[in-house]
Amino acid sequence: MIKIKSLSKEYIMGDNKLLALNEVNISINAGEFVSIMGSSGSGKSTLMNIIGCLDVPTNGDYFFRENNISSYSSNQLAELRNKDIGFIFQNFNLLPRLNALENVILPLLYSGKSFKERNTLALDALENVGLGDRIYHRPNQLSGGQQQRVSIARAIAGSPKLILADEPTGALDSVTGIEIMKILNDLNLKKITIVLVTHEDDIANYGSRIIKMKDGKIIEDINNVSN
Amino acid sequence: MSLTDLIYLSQKSLRSNILRSVLTSLGIIIGVSSVITMISIGSGARQEVEEQIERFGSNNLIVRSQSSSSRGVSMGSNSVNTLTLKDMEGLKSELPAISAIAPRVSMSTQIIANGNNWLATVTGTTNDYFQLGNWKFEIGREFQEDELNSGSRVAIIGKTVQKNLFGTDNPIDEIIRINKVPFTVIGLLDAKGGTAWADLDDTIVVPLKTAKQRLVAKKFPGDQIRSMTINVSSSELLFKTEKDIDTVMRKLHKISANGNPDFVIRNYAQFLNARQESSRVMSILLATVAGISLIVGGIGIMNIMLVTVTERTKEIGVCMSVGAKKRDILLQFLIESLMISLIGGCIGIALGLGVIFGVSEYFNWKMSLDYISLVLSFVFSSSIGIIFGFYPARKAANLNPIDALRYE
Repeated sequence: MIKIKSLSKEYIMGDNKLLALNEVNISINAGEFVSIMGSSGSGKSTLMNIIGCLDVPTNGDYFFRENNISSYSSNQLAELRNKDIGFIFQNFNLLPRLNALENVILPLLYSGKSFKERNTLALDALENVGLGDRIYHRPNQLSGGQQQRVSIARAIAGSPKLILADEPTGALDSVTGIEIMKILNDLNLKKITIVLVTHEDDIANYGSRIIKMKDGKIIEDINNVSN
Repeated sequence: MSLTDLIYLSQKSLRSNILRSVLTSLGIIIGVSSVITMISIGSGARQEVEEQIERFGSNNLIVRSQSSSSRGVSMGSNSVNTLTLKDMEGLKSELPAISAIAPRVSMSTQIIANGNNWLATVTGTTNDYFQLGNWKFEIGREFQEDELNSGSRVAIIGKTVQKNLFGTDNPIDEIIRINKVPFTVIGLLDAKGGTAWADLDDTIVVPLKTAKQRLVAKKFPGDQIRSMTINVSSSELLFKTEKDIDTVMRKLHKISANGNPDFVIRNYAQFLNARQESSRVMSILLATVAGISLIVGGIGIMNIMLVTVTERTKEIGVCMSVGAKKRDILLQFLIESLMISLIGGCIGIALGLGVIFGVSEYFNWKMSLDYISLVLSFVFSSSIGIIFGFYPARKAANLNPIDALRYE
């Protein structure tokens, strides 16, 4: 599903060049649950942002479902994010003025679905994450765990092939964190590919494959047998 | 993303900051209300001038007596009558540009009829008076030749006189006593309405000869008259004829070219021009206010939209992460600024209507509201919203998704 070939990302900070990713090669198959680990500055977030088409690499090729998207325009990338990729962020990133339902509908607005269709899809997604009774609550009326579930609903509403989770439990207590991980696990069981970025071992352990990064390079890539 | 969705999202974010939205649109509010007021003052003045022309007739000059001894100080022009019917004949024969002259004597006197009494202005004149003054007859007729020549006691009355003496009854063939002299009513004039300074319908018209013999014999002895209304055959000749009349009158009255004249020529067009000029000045003033406040308002919108874009950078990142294209972001912010300016436009229209109503009520100015000014206001405010909203919206749309998302 994802094939990354000698991918580099450079940031220029004043006079210094910072190599966030250095000739990274990975391939991720459909249906995998990959945890990417590493300390801060290891390049794991940069890698995930590039996989999520939020950022573009400086060098190298990125194939998403056989298409080389290094050459995609910003509109094509937006469409890809909209249709094939779902994001879950550490701090939820819900729009404060919109209620849960509207937040989940947001990506469906951009894909141009009909009013009825997007309502059904959003309600289904909220039902799936167990928030069917909170659809008119605004983010500030929901607990952290509930907010993260809204953002999962938003990620899955458009039935993406790939879900990218950037420290999804980072802002949650451990009990809620486990609930969220269970939801992600369930999604993976439904054949959705999941790429998870974390620095916590027990969270990373939910993955079927663990990639460890350091200084912009992959230093370890193992199948997680304990899972 | 459909337009309704965009509007829905925009109104949500505007409503979350309603005070700011209204304050932002203040410039537009003032601008649009000025535009509306300006246009209605302009078209009101034009309409008033047209109505005046309709009332008083176009291309008319009025020559009036004036005390020659007054050196810049008016001695009360009522006290002397320096004009005569001979002057009228003289002007008529010397100046071919004059198509008609109506002489006039007048007095204000008591009218009794039907057990009611009323004070009205009585005018003695000829049939030209009706034509020159654009008077129409509601019922009845003009004077007949023999009535004019023999000094018959016949009278034509205006609407106000009818109302006060006869109510709504037909006054034709009724007898009215003007200064105790009985007259038969032969005609009723159509209403002209009032001006700011007089009720034109409070009038009674009798033949010149009758008036001179029976009503104002002492006031206007011999062939003296109060004034004459002169109709010039075309408007291009109006100013030239005015000068010619001055020359001829000076010759007839034996006054040198630089001596003080004992008459005064009133050009009605001049008065109307002055009226138009003053409304034009007012309009220019308002146009300036409108222009400045629309530009300042536009800059205010741009300023606030730039702040909004900065404030909502992260939100823009979120929208982009879930699939918003540049165009979606651009449109959303454009529609927000458009909505701010349109809200301003609507409030401005309401305010403008209030001003128009207030001014026309208190100053008795004629203001007319046309749809063009409403359309213009909408066009103005929406184009301001789009023009000044474009830069911030484009700035938002050109954000890099990951930078926007990471913005704190």
